[in-house]
Amino acid sequence: MTAPALKAVGLTKRYGRHHALSDCTLDIPASRVVGLVGPNGAGKTTLLQLAAGMLAPTAGTIEALGGHPASGADQLAKVGFVAQDTPTYANLSIADHLRFGAHTNPGWSQATAEERIDQLGLDPRQKAGKLSGGQRSQLALTMAIAKRPELLILDEPVASLDPMARREFMKALMGFTADDKASVILSSHLVSDLERVCDYLVVLVASRVQIAGDVDDLLAGHFRLTGPRRELAELPGGVDVIEESHTERQSTLIVRADVPLDGRSFTVEKLTLEDLVLAYMSKAMPAQPARESTR
Amino acid sequence: MIWFTWRQLRTQTLITAAALAAFGVLLFVTALMVTDLYADVAACTSDCDGVTKAFILRFNSSAAFTAHATALAALYVLPALIGIFWGAPLIAREVETGTHRLAWNQSVTRTRWLVAKLTVGGALAVAATGLLSWGLTVWAQRIDSASQDRINPLIFGARGIVPVAYALFAFLLGVTLGMLIRRTLPAMATTLAVYVAAAAAMPLWVRGYLVPSRHDTVPLIAESIHGMSISGDTGAIEVFGDGVANAWTVSNRTITATGATFTGPADPTVCGVQGVPAKCHEWMASLGLRQDLLYHPDSHFWSLQWAEAGVLIGLAALLAAFCFWWIRHRIV
Repeated sequence: MTAPALKAVGLTKRYGRHHALSDCTLDIPASRVVGLVGPNGAGKTTLLQLAAGMLAPTAGTIEALGGHPASGADQLAKVGFVAQDTPTYANLSIADHLRFGAHTNPGWSQATAEERIDQLGLDPRQKAGKLSGGQRSQLALTMAIAKRPELLILDEPVASLDPMARREFMKALMGFTADDKASVILSSHLVSDLERVCDYLVVLVASRVQIAGDVDDLLAGHFRLTGPRRELAELPGGVDVIEESHTERQSTLIVRADVPLDGRSFTVEKLTLEDLVLAYMSKAMPAQPARESTR
Repeated sequence: MIWFTWRQLRTQTLITAAALAAFGVLLFVTALMVTDLYADVAACTSDCDGVTKAFILRFNSSAAFTAHATALAALYVLPALIGIFWGAPLIAREVETGTHRLAWNQSVTRTRWLVAKLTVGGALAVAATGLLSWGLTVWAQRIDSASQDRINPLIFGARGIVPVAYALFAFLLGVTLGMLIRRTLPAMATTLAVYVAAAAAMPLWVRGYLVPSRHDTVPLIAESIHGMSISGDTGAIEVFGDGVANAWTVSNRTITATGATFTGPADPTVCGVQGVPAKCHEWMASLGLRQDLLYHPDSHFWSLQWAEAGVLIGLAALLAAFCFWWIRHRIV
């Protein structure tokens, strides 16, 4: 039995009176590609930095691959973390970065690193400060991949990239997950970034986890119900309403259901992942404009 | 990790090495001049006071004097520069640009990362100031032995091992402030301010007490009155006697026979506006006053050097311990 990629119990992070993350409980199995989605300021960065040990929790516990984050060289070797805005040393060359990785990581694969840099068409002698945003992200990803971690955490890796660079980056990431049996957690405020690559989804809104689970299970358990208002006023047990909107006679509900909903006088539709996420977001933040990220 | 830290500090180190090499050339060339000037003293076998004085006078008007003043200034400035340009940005720049998130997610703990940074930076700081201080101390040996003033606070701070301790202290001060302030430029400015305050406070209030000073009381004679200040209204007077030759006088009070500090009043007929200074001095000498002196003779030089270096290295060690605690518990 392998340890879960990420396990959090009652995880809370406060900055003064501001709750960045509240009472978050998660149990994400290993060898998945996990999408962490939520609006800006929801606490995604906080959660990922807690998982990488860049932050310490105010309350609760978090474990990555069964170990305390950043507790020692072994734990650091198992977990790779690419921070938001993918920092690199501006005045050092790509080759210097790779050498840094080689010097500091026992599992480092220089061949993997050099091959990727070559594929990207980058000159190893080039200073990182002269790279474009996309190239810098690729360098940071290369370092994280060549480290060969069992869990790779990426914080908003594509947010600052143009569509072409976005696709390249995702392709590189998928190459990594196909080769190694590693777990990946990546965050984004857009479902569309994650939809095609993730098989597990965590929705984080207003510092709380709204839902977490297998993408397939989530899609199989959520529906949009449309029908006469009267009919929808009474629903069987085992059906949770996530979002509802009404006109005079017609109601539209988005529900989670683990009982069959067939054979009634309303229509039942499957949801797209985006609809599902949006329903949870609007449930958690009723008519509230998205707050800007504080980090 | 050691390699990487060295790689990050390489440019600054090469610039410093080039500056030190230039100083080396300057000291070497002027050392030859000093050897020429010193020839008379070296050849002297007895009753050498005259030639020694002449040597000092000739040295003071030679180019070697300027070289000495420059090297002295360099030894005061170098630790500050090390604190500002090596210490303050060491962590502040990483945190400011976010690269600590890259560095701390390699398979090296923060503690080991900091060990490497402090070891390499500290070793470079010690090497740079050590070389310059050693060079100047050796270079100035003949001048110091002729003028007997190496214990004088200004000279003392640019000789022996003390500059090395200042550099180490400045480096760790910069690192600590950079870690707390998390922004490079403000950290550099704060480092400069705090370092200058500490470096000034040391000779003013601390150094004199690090080693027990010698205490003497000698009769005040007219020839040893260095100066005085007389209040026109009250006749209160403050008398300044000469300090101890070839020593650093820490405290110099003029006292009466009872041991109280002498405050006058002055006899207005001999001292003050109408008085003749020589008469006034004679009158003063007739009062049976004494000079109460606290001083460090030249023989205290090395014990003071070790004591002061010990204090500074101790402070540097405390700062380092704080850095290790902070990086593990507080920094995000």
